[in-house]
Amino acid sequence: MPEPPRMEFSLSVSAEVANLAVIRRFVEEIATSLRADRKAIDDMLQAVEEATANIIFHGYHGQPGNIEIEMGQEQGALVVRLRDQALPFDPTRVPPPDLTSPLETRRFGGLGVHLIRQFTDQMTYRVMPEGGNELTLRKNAKWTSQEDK
Amino acid sequence: MEITVSQEQGRVPVTVFHVTGDLNTETYEQFQSQAQQAIQSGARYLLLDLSEVPYVSSYGVRAISQLFTWLRDSQSENDATVSKGVRDGTWKSSHLKLLKPNPRVLKVLTTSGVDMFLEIYDDLQKALAAF
Repeated sequence: MPEPPRMEFSLSVSAEVANLAVIRRFVEEIATSLRADRKAIDDMLQAVEEATANIIFHGYHGQPGNIEIEMGQEQGALVVRLRDQALPFDPTRVPPPDLTSPLETRRFGGLGVHLIRQFTDQMTYRVMPEGGNELTLRKNAKWTSQEDK
Repeated sequence: MEITVSQEQGRVPVTVFHVTGDLNTETYEQFQSQAQQAIQSGARYLLLDLSEVPYVSSYGVRAISQLFTWLRDSQSENDATVSKGVRDGTWKSSHLKLLKPNPRVLKVLTTSGVDMFLEIYDDLQKALAAF
């Protein structure tokens, strides 16, 4: 898969629960400045929280690591790209959870990915050439221009 | 995230958890801990008021599911009965119910299948009467 072009806005943070709020603020502020509609922003926030929590807990297993976030607008979609240096893991291959299984025995590992699928329009994954994971989330959005009130 | 607790009386005494703030990765353990304390103090019928909860993540769903499990330990239905009833749509928890989730939170709950196990109400009196 060819290297995607770098997007305009980026942030790099250590993979800690305390930085989830930093990531949320970044995504909200950039998406708002790009003038995406509120629903698209909220849906993307839901997906990014799930994806970054997965990186922290399941990617790095709570060990030190970094999460790099890029954001931008591509072909009418709000796009967030997440990169980490954890062991290779392709969330697009995670099956949907069995929602009929009893809550107390249900495995919750697939629920975050399931929510990402429901709140975005596309989730793509690749292993980066230098190693590490890259997850791209796309959410189609309505965009207001600066002339719109 | 903060929780205030009130006691209401329907057909049975109901403990209402009024939750304010997000129920997510950062807050779910605190939520679970407070709920566990209430259950250990004798709460058997719990209503989660989600009207002031802007956002629930999968970890919030996990915490709600844990409440269901703790409360269900005191119930008598076996797993087979519950599983069949959930698939048939005839069984919902009689010990834990949810109140007034906003549309986004409701979407998370239904996407996660929580509504298959727990009743969700938008009116407090109806929720209390349902226990």
